[in-house]
Amino acid sequence: MDSVAVPFPIACQSSTAPELTSQQARFTNMNSPKQNIAATPIPRRTFIRRTAVFAGATVALSMVPRRASAAGTPTVVNSIRSLSNPYHATWNQGGQAFAKSIGADYVTLVTEGDSEKGIADIRAILAKTGGNMVLNVDPNDSPDARPIVDACVKAGAYVTTQWNKPADLHPWDFNPYYVAHIAFDGVHYGEDTANALIKAIGGSGGIVALGGILSNTPAIERKAGLEKALQANPNVKLLDFQVANWKSTEAFNIVSAWLTRFGDDIKGIWAANDDMAVGTLEALRGEKLNGKVPVTGIDGIKTAVEAVRAGEFAATVSWDPYWQGSMGLSIAYAAKIGKIDPAKEPKEHREFYGTGVLITKENADDFYKTHIESEPKIDFNDYWGRVTGQIRQS
Amino acid sequence: MLAVEHVSKAFAGVQALDDVNVEIGANEVVGLVGENGAGKSTLMRILAGVYSPDRGSLKLDGAQVLLKSPREANLNGIGIVFQEQSLLLNLTVGENIYLGQEAEFTRLGLVNRRRMNAAARRQLAKVEVDIDPDTRTSELSFAARQMVELAKALALEERTEKHLIILLDEPTSVLEQRDIEILFARVRALKRRASFVFVSHRLDEILALSDRIYVMKDGRVVGHMEAGSTTVPQLHQMMVGRDRHAEYYRESRQGPPREEIVMEARDLSVTGAYRKVDFVLHRGEVLGIAGVVGSGREELTRTLFGFVPQSSGTLLIDGHEVRLTVPSQAADHGVGYIPRERRTEGLVLSLPLAVNVTLSKLPTSRITGAIRLSREIQLAKSWVDKLHIRTPGVEALCLNLSGGNQQKVVLAKWMNARAHILILDHPTRGLDVGAKEEVYELIRDLSEEGVSIILTADTLEETIGLCHSILVMRDGKVTARFDASPGRKPSQVDLIQHMV
Amino acid sequence: MEPRKVPPSADSGTPQIRSPELGGRNAKLSLNRLKRYAPFFALIALSLLIGAMNPRFFEFNNLIRVANSASIPLVLSLGMTFVILLGSIDLSVEGVLAIGAVLISLLVRNNGNGFDLGWSAVVLAILACSGIGFLNGAIHVGLRIPSFMVTLGMWFIGVGVATLILGGSTVRVLDKGIRSIALDRPMGFFPIAVWVALGALGITWVIERQTRIGRYIYAIGGGEDLAALSGIPVKRVKIIVFMIAGTLYGLGGLLSAAQLGQGNALIGSGRLFSTVTAVVVGGTALTGGEGGVLNTLVGVMIMAVLGNGMVLLGISPDVQQGVQGVLIIVAVALSLDRARLKIVK
Repeated sequence: MDSVAVPFPIACQSSTAPELTSQQARFTNMNSPKQNIAATPIPRRTFIRRTAVFAGATVALSMVPRRASAAGTPTVVNSIRSLSNPYHATWNQGGQAFAKSIGADYVTLVTEGDSEKGIADIRAILAKTGGNMVLNVDPNDSPDARPIVDACVKAGAYVTTQWNKPADLHPWDFNPYYVAHIAFDGVHYGEDTANALIKAIGGSGGIVALGGILSNTPAIERKAGLEKALQANPNVKLLDFQVANWKSTEAFNIVSAWLTRFGDDIKGIWAANDDMAVGTLEALRGEKLNGKVPVTGIDGIKTAVEAVRAGEFAATVSWDPYWQGSMGLSIAYAAKIGKIDPAKEPKEHREFYGTGVLITKENADDFYKTHIESEPKIDFNDYWGRVTGQIRQS
Repeated sequence: MLAVEHVSKAFAGVQALDDVNVEIGANEVVGLVGENGAGKSTLMRILAGVYSPDRGSLKLDGAQVLLKSPREANLNGIGIVFQEQSLLLNLTVGENIYLGQEAEFTRLGLVNRRRMNAAARRQLAKVEVDIDPDTRTSELSFAARQMVELAKALALEERTEKHLIILLDEPTSVLEQRDIEILFARVRALKRRASFVFVSHRLDEILALSDRIYVMKDGRVVGHMEAGSTTVPQLHQMMVGRDRHAEYYRESRQGPPREEIVMEARDLSVTGAYRKVDFVLHRGEVLGIAGVVGSGREELTRTLFGFVPQSSGTLLIDGHEVRLTVPSQAADHGVGYIPRERRTEGLVLSLPLAVNVTLSKLPTSRITGAIRLSREIQLAKSWVDKLHIRTPGVEALCLNLSGGNQQKVVLAKWMNARAHILILDHPTRGLDVGAKEEVYELIRDLSEEGVSIILTADTLEETIGLCHSILVMRDGKVTARFDASPGRKPSQVDLIQHMV
Repeated sequence: MEPRKVPPSADSGTPQIRSPELGGRNAKLSLNRLKRYAPFFALIALSLLIGAMNPRFFEFNNLIRVANSASIPLVLSLGMTFVILLGSIDLSVEGVLAIGAVLISLLVRNNGNGFDLGWSAVVLAILACSGIGFLNGAIHVGLRIPSFMVTLGMWFIGVGVATLILGGSTVRVLDKGIRSIALDRPMGFFPIAVWVALGALGITWVIERQTRIGRYIYAIGGGEDLAALSGIPVKRVKIIVFMIAGTLYGLGGLLSAAQLGQGNALIGSGRLFSTVTAVVVGGTALTGGEGGVLNTLVGVMIMAVLGNGMVLLGISPDVQQGVQGVLIIVAVALSLDRARLKIVK
């Protein structure tokens, strides 16, 4: 069967104003924080978003493949927030590549930040394929994972979730269909980038830090990592912590004001994601301080990797969305075709932290070559190679 | 100079103007009088190019003209000073005077404000007012705005070769006595540069200012005379016209009201609108309030339904003293209001009949508070039967019903809310004759059932025919009270002499 | 109506109308006047307060930074001002801005393709944005669809098209000329972006004060039916206003691309809210007809000073949003003559 027979549903009205709940932002902060409007929900904007979603739903559904392949190669499906941000765009590329490798039909569903649309679209494709499919989903919000998993179990489809799920929903309670849940440890990588920054400023001096939306779990986790690193380095002082809501422009203005308030006392700037780090860098550039005051981000977007290569960023972390988009499918597919038996896998293979790559001056060039200039090469059969431990049960 | 010839105009089946002939000569003031709804305003709007006549024509200096827009009227030298003022309050005086005419002052796309203000000052000088053209219009008093309107109309002089005709549509209704005198002085002085058509409710003003007077009634011109050769009583007589037909208003069905007093007003006042109004309303009584626009009767009825709470005085409903600050309070006391603008105030036209009927009192489940939809339908059906509402069904949208039936839906709404005092604000406005008669019948039915009614009617005939007693108001005060039991009904002249 | 008491006229004889007497101004006038300048006083007070608590606020470099952070919001808000003066609303800011920024990024020298059109790319992109504004206006008046819905749709279309063009990725601007808008400071003074914003302010001010379009915007906002009766081409004015707005959003796209050195579909995100807020905080009424571009300048400066000041004073991030919310409500409360409103919805 020919691969990639299906155009992607591109529902274009994204980017706007999802109200974020704390958990939903788990994925958001990855790389697409730009999508988040301030944490305060604004009714009109909510309304706007809802309106948008109706349009989106129609588009997405019409793109679903006409032929239902009840037997034979299953349809592979990625459900993500939108295609307007590089993070999920790369995720989608990974999904495409995997589908091609097994010669399956590939479908992308976009939630546009709307839980109801996300769940409804998944139900629709389950019905269309008669359950002969594997799903890799980044749920819009934590509670969404439960109805999605329920629907898949009922239809006999195999599912992997990433980033968001309720704490008491476990893959091992839904053998064999709920194969795995994957997340990344914000504390760990927040600490990693903070350490890289501290190293870059020579182990002492003042730094300032930019956080994401206050109530977002990843914002909280990454900040906790920063604090851990500061505790271990008493010579480094956190001059101020501000929230730029994951956005470049807000970061730009805050950094400008910081330069007034602290001036030369700022030796380095830590940001909870790359977008804010990019805004920071541009504010520094305007004052001719780029490269002089090191900056760190998290997410590993292209601009950030380039900045690391140019010596303007001290570090960033890549989650490798290409891996997320492909391996989430691959693990579920392996369970479907019987290559792995989920019931027999240990819990740390069912709910695990993936491995992020800390990118610094040392490995930036290599990373750029393997992941940005070319499509990453991933062994789709290496199911557990990036397991860094079971997810903390909180 | 300007001649209106055989002009007729109808709105939704109502003949507003019927074969009207009016002439306006050079340098004269033509007065136009008539009761509410006699057709004066319609005639003015036709002259101003707002409406086009259905039949008949306008002739300017003997040549037929078509005025398709106010702009075309302007180009033919006709300007208008409306009673509801047509100045934009957020612009300056100068900007208002030359609104739409900025081209005269524009060079290279830029408007020369200084030149425009200088020109505006010239116009203001014609009416001898000293107002800075840079003043924001909202900062001016009504009187000053009226002068600006006049100046704006006079600015036409510089744009047309034609002789100027300025229409003054009740320009005095918002003015104080002193300002009225100033306005009149200006108009007299300006007669050498323009003709005026002057509409007012106040006959003394008409007599004082006009050279000739046209009297209108029911869309027709019923009299035309030199101002010097007539008197106020004579004008009254002409405005009233023919005699009443008693049975038209079902007077034989008018029984005496009950003893019980359901509403009473003592020294009721609203600052700036009316003062010290007293009345009692008995169970089953129809109380009419007569008065021209600005007499305070509109505000009085609005007080009774809680739109404008009284600033002093006492209002009693069923013996309890009340001060109604919002309409829902009035509704709680069993007062229903049937507004004149039923399209905007009485009904939600886009909703079905059934929903409108239960709007003021929803049938809800006592336990859950949810609306009992089947009960709602049932209620609506019973009202449709009772009031003979002609509708395809209770699910029909109100906007598809005829005017008379819409009126009945509003009535049903209040009857359903168990209102026992109904305020009817021009209940027959815009209805055709048949529908009117149904409303009269309904008023008698309600009265017999013990519902009390406060009525402000479209015409004096209606007021006299329908009411048990009548309150006449002028300038915010009650000027007369009449017993209107069958056989003792006052005449229209009796009423009108206390109104104007 | 009962005659109200009038103060005796100063001059007897022939009645003479003078603006203070018969022209008599409303009693509340002085209060109203004051109210109209309230946002300006608020800006001064806010600046003094922040300056008192952290004198560095008034440092030359900080004033430049405040001006710099106000430049993009100002350009966007100027466009929005005219639309709001009409009594309409334009929600397409973020979409149009995204298209502008993405087109510019892709047509000048960049790291995504081989184009290198330089300044003509800027002209093309901004013209495209004017075109979108024209569509907004034409659909709004032509099909009689509320501006709210038309521009809402255009917002999504704009972001969607920008997404399609870039496939969700980000493209970096390598053109030195474009970047110099944000980075170069002629005479060691404001960055060029600030001069551009001031230029836009000057032009819109002239449009507002000195042209027929400006006059008609107010007339339509003050009373559309009266304006139409006065022979004003209401439809044409509305279309032109939406075009001006689109042009300014495109200019905002240029400045954004210059500032962040990149273009992507989400570059405008969050701008709509801050734009409308600045316009309203400046005292332009959402009901139309009141306010103007100078109000908007004040509103933008209030937001910029506040954002800068809150960081300077080290106000906790948790509190900051609350402060902004309070500010918006106070501003709207001041700018509306609520007694005139029949219904609030």
